[in-house]
Order: sequence, then C-alpha cells, then structure tokens
Amino acid sequence: MRHLVLLTTFVFILSVASAGAVFAQSTFDLSISLPLTGKTAKFGEMQKKSYEMAAQEINAKGGVKGKKINLTFEDSGGKPEVARSIAEKMVDVKKQPIMVGEYTSACAKAVAAVAEERKTPYLVVASADDDITQKNYKYVFRLNPVSAHYDDALLAFIKDVVKPKSMAIIYESSPFGTAGSRNMVKEVEKAGIKVLVNEKYEAGAVDFKPILSKVKGANPDVIYMVSYVMDAALLMKQIKELRIDSRLFAGGAAGFDIPEFVENAKDAADYVVTSTLWTPQLNFKGSKDYANKFKSKYGEFPSYHGAAAYSAMYVVKDALERAKSWRQDDIRDALKATNMETAFGPVKFEDREGYQNQNFSDTYVRQVIKGHHQTVYPQNYANAKFIYPIPKWRERK
Amino acid sequence: MLVQLEVFLQTLIAGILLGGLYALIGLGMTLIMGVMKIINLAHGELMMVSMYIAFTLFTYFNIDPYLSVFIAAPLLFLLGVAMQKYLINPVLKVDSILPENQVILTVGVGMVLANIATLIFTSDYKSTPVPYATTALYLSDIWKDSPIELSFSLPWIVSFVIAIIITIGLWFFLSRTDTGKSIRATAQDLDAALLMGVNVKLMRVVTFGIGSALVGAAGCLFIPMYYLYPSLGGQFTLIAFVITILGGLGSTVGAIIGGLILGIFESMTATYLGMGWAPVGRFVIFVAALIFLPGGVASLLKRQRLGK
Repeated sequence: MRHLVLLTTFVFILSVASAGAVFAQSTFDLSISLPLTGKTAKFGEMQKKSYEMAAQEINAKGGVKGKKINLTFEDSGGKPEVARSIAEKMVDVKKQPIMVGEYTSACAKAVAAVAEERKTPYLVVASADDDITQKNYKYVFRLNPVSAHYDDALLAFIKDVVKPKSMAIIYESSPFGTAGSRNMVKEVEKAGIKVLVNEKYEAGAVDFKPILSKVKGANPDVIYMVSYVMDAALLMKQIKELRIDSRLFAGGAAGFDIPEFVENAKDAADYVVTSTLWTPQLNFKGSKDYANKFKSKYGEFPSYHGAAAYSAMYVVKDALERAKSWRQDDIRDALKATNMETAFGPVKFEDREGYQNQNFSDTYVRQVIKGHHQTVYPQNYANAKFIYPIPKWRERK
Repeated sequence: MLVQLEVFLQTLIAGILLGGLYALIGLGMTLIMGVMKIINLAHGELMMVSMYIAFTLFTYFNIDPYLSVFIAAPLLFLLGVAMQKYLINPVLKVDSILPENQVILTVGVGMVLANIATLIFTSDYKSTPVPYATTALYLSDIWKDSPIELSFSLPWIVSFVIAIIITIGLWFFLSRTDTGKSIRATAQDLDAALLMGVNVKLMRVVTFGIGSALVGAAGCLFIPMYYLYPSLGGQFTLIAFVITILGGLGSTVGAIIGGLILGIFESMTATYLGMGWAPVGRFVIFVAALIFLPGGVASLLKRQRLGK
C-alpha cells in the first residue's frame, strides 16, 4: 500500500513536471534583474514598466519565432552582491541563454562578470560607467552610450553657441559626478576654456550658498553641475536667490533631466540646459508611440532609462530571431551582428575607442522652456529653438 | 577686493542663518540631555517625522509649512511624551549590564521611525514646493548705490526669525515659570529637586516632550528650503550631537552659541576650503571641543561669571 502511494506520487510529480516542460516550450522565459527597492527604485520601476510594455507588444504580434515572451523580474535593490547571485541563478538554475537589465553601474559590473564567466550574452541597458565595456569581455553588450560621451552634444552646444572663456563646475561626490566633472574638465581645457571653480559636494547638503557665492565671485561664463534631483533643484533655486548671472546654466543629465527638477525648482529651472540620451520628442521609429503610450498609461513621459529598456526588449527579440539556435554562443553572434533602428535610436554594437560591443548613439541637449523640457540641440533633432542668450535674473518677470 | 568682501559677507549671512536653525535643532537635544542625562539619538528621526507631517499637511490640505509648526510641534510633544512614558521610563527601571541602555533604546526608536516612514511614504525624495521658495531681498533694493550686492533669502530669514522667537519663548519658559524652574532644578540636582517636592518623573516626561516639540518646529522651518526622505534623520542627529557637545552638555545658551558657531564654521569651510570639507570641519570642531573645551561654551560662560 505504502509503495503504491509513493509510486503514484512519483508518477504524479513526473507528469506535472513534464506538463511544465511542454508549457515552457511554448513560451520564452526571461528573468530581468532590476532595482525595485532602495534609492534607485524609481528608475527600476520605470524600466520594468517599459520592458513589460515592449513584451506585450511583441507577444500581441505573435511573439518571437512563435513563442510568447514570459517576463519575470528579480529585485536586486541596487546591491551588486544581490545582482550577482540573481545572475548566477539565471544562468545556472534557470538556464537562461541571455541576460538583460540592471541599472547602477556597480550592479551591471557584477552581472557582466558572471556573464563572461558563464559565456552567456548580457545586454547592459542603462549603466554608464566607462569600463564596463572596456574589459575585453566577449559576451557583454551595451545599449546606452558610455559616460565619457554623455555630454557630447552639450559640449558642442557650449562650443558652438555659447563660446565661453570660463566655466565653474559643481558636482556630487559620487562615481557618476566625479566622472562627469573629470570628462568635462578634460574636454573644455582642450577647447581653451578656463575652469575657475571645480568643487564637489556631499549629497544631501542643505546650503549651497557659500560655494555659490564663491562661484559668483569668480564670475564664470558657464556653470556646469552634475547632481541628483533634489540637489539639482536646490542649486538652481539658490543660484536664483544669489542672482548669479552666468551666460549658461548646464546640467549633466541625471537630476536635471527629469520632470521633478522643474516641479521642485519652479521658475528657477527656466533656460537651464541639460545633456540627455533620449527625449520623447525624437523621431526614431517608434519613439513617439512609446512615449505617448507610456504617458497615457502612467501619466508622465518616460526618461531615457525607460526608452532604453523598451528598446532593449526589441534588440533581444531581433537577436533571437536571427540566431541560428537559442544557444548562448549563437545568440551572442546574432547580437554582435545587430543593426537596427529602435525607439532609442540606431543600434549597432561596435569595437572602437577601446570599447567592445558598445553602441555609440547620439546624445542630445534639452532646455527648460516655459516649464517644460524641449529638445534644442543638435539642430536636426530639435523640436524647439534654443533660447540664448538667457535673460538676467533681475530682468525676469 | 570688493568682490572678496561680497563673498565673505554673503558667506557670513548664510552661516548665521544656518546656525540659527542648527541652534534650534541642538536646543531640543541639549534640554533632554540636561534633565535625562542621556543623548537622544532618535532626535533627527523626530525631526523627520515632523517634516513628513508638514509635507502631508502641505500636499493634501495645502497648509503652509510655517503654519504647520503649530500642528507638528504639539504632535511631536505628544510623541515625545509617549516615548518617555512608555519606552524610556520602563527601561530606566530595569537593571542591565549596559549602563546606558536608554541611549541604545533611542537608536532603536529612530530606526523604527525611519522604517515606518519608508513604509508609508516610500524612499522617494519629497518636497513642499512653496511659491516663495526663491524669493529674496537684495541689498541694492534698499541701498541703490551699494557697491556690493547681498541677497537675503526670504524663507531662510523667516525660518531664522521664527527660530529666534521660539528660543526666546523657551528661555522665558525656563526662567520665569514654575514648570520651567522645576525642569532646571531637575537638571541641576535631581535628588535636591526631589527633596524640594518637584515631581521629577513628570518633569522628565515634560522635558522629553518639549525637546521633541522643539526639533519638530525645526523640521517645519527646514522643509520650505530643503527636501525630505526617510533616512534623513541621522545627518541631523549628528549635527545636534555636535552642537550639544560644543555648547556644553545641557546648557541652552551654550547650544544657541554652539549652533551659530557650527553654522558659520561650515559655511566658511565651504567657501574657503571647498564644500567637500564641510563634514570634515564638523568633526574637527567636535574633536577640538572635546579636547580643548570639554565643558563646551557653557564652561566659558561659567568661568567668566565666577571671575566676577
């Protein structure tokens, strides 16, 4: 009797397992690791929504080679050690042939190491640290530009339009802020622009007025800042209070590039320009559809983080369709041969300037005009004319 | 030369305004320190709670943060009273291996508060975008031909003035009312106060309430020009702690002077050394105060009085 029970259970388990296997064959399971809690959760949340949106669209059109994409998400909390163990689970346990995702550079580095070790292709979506694609990794691909190129368009704008003689730089003492400042100093000094003040601050500072009065005393033509949201707003508010009349206020993406910046800084945000990797006003295939769909569903336009995630899904789909088989190496070769246009812009993974498998997409400049971010530079992408020279504080309103 | 003068004066103004608010944060801690002989390490978290109260009132009921001082401070008073009565007093009675386990208790309370705030409000940054946030008064508006331009931010000035009014009110309360005198008596000599018929237990509860209310008021004064997130408390606990040490443990006048010194010192380091140095400066002051002025500013004041 006891044997019979055991046997039936065993048979039952077997049949369930095989049913599961049959079911799995009609879908393509893809786990994505993201920060859904912690400080960077806001970006992870936006990316999750964008991945889902793209997967739904793909599934509605018949999926990948007839298989529906079945997305699941794992929360890394922005912690590299957690991201690493998630990646190991994906490859070793779930036998997933491709990995996508993560947000912070630290986490992406952890996942990239696993990917290279286990020879599984990994597509980095929004992590900017230069050296992720500088390590001669064969299996790591990156969709977003590297941080050294974040300010390309902004630099061109500064050199061509503003033509300043001097600059002040204020940046957050994080890897992102430090890298931003270092690149900027290197580039402007090449152009003969003098850096008068180059100061870092600890995130969460209450009062920027002392440092800003020093900047005011130095009287630079351009003030360039790299900050997170709230610091960005505080900086511009206090610049307004002190009436520092530089010819241009420029931000390096991140905190200056999201709607919360204008919400918090209000009129002090006017005429501020910022670097960005993507804007809802761009004219790539599917950009506007994505932006509008996201807005009607979630109430606000996505930032480049979302667009990159949305496009990454299509890049994966494209690679899976072209791959000879869905084994890791074949998918890797297919990814390497990618040449397509996405909502994020054209995607092609190149080896140059010391980077491997890096997509070099354009960056853009946005300016806050009448309380909204408008794309103003380079001119072929612009949807509004930039406003320069900007009015002095005393003359505003 | 004029430019240098302008930079210096503007920095000094920023330092004094910041110092006034620091003083208010420090006052609450020093008061509790004086009476209870413990450092309340949940001080910054109490401030965070009051900031969330002000934020909620502003966002959902459109109440100005300055008005919510009158709502948040009493609420924080009650919170402080409850903390003292139901958490700290029972712990005081228990014998333990650690002599200062009430201090450890306050750390725990701080963590609980921060995590509750994360649960309710998520870890996102919040702010109260008030319409007058960037309004400022300018020297050149008053004095037309002024060779230098100085700006006085309206919300900073208003916060500073309210902080001063609260401080004067506290001084009045402590020196002129019976309850205030009882509190001071408890702080000076607990046993003597007990023998003189002071209800020491009640005074402890009241003091903790007042200390919390003070930092609650400080939270409301801070939020128009700052922002908030659940883990913001630690930073301000630290500032209050430095001020308490600098001012002399338990001295109210010391805390006010300590707050001003810290505010001005931080602003000066930011201008003349670099903003990254401000936190370093804070600890240099802290260590210097412990080594060279163990009694804090209060001991200087006392020495002078004895000299007369």
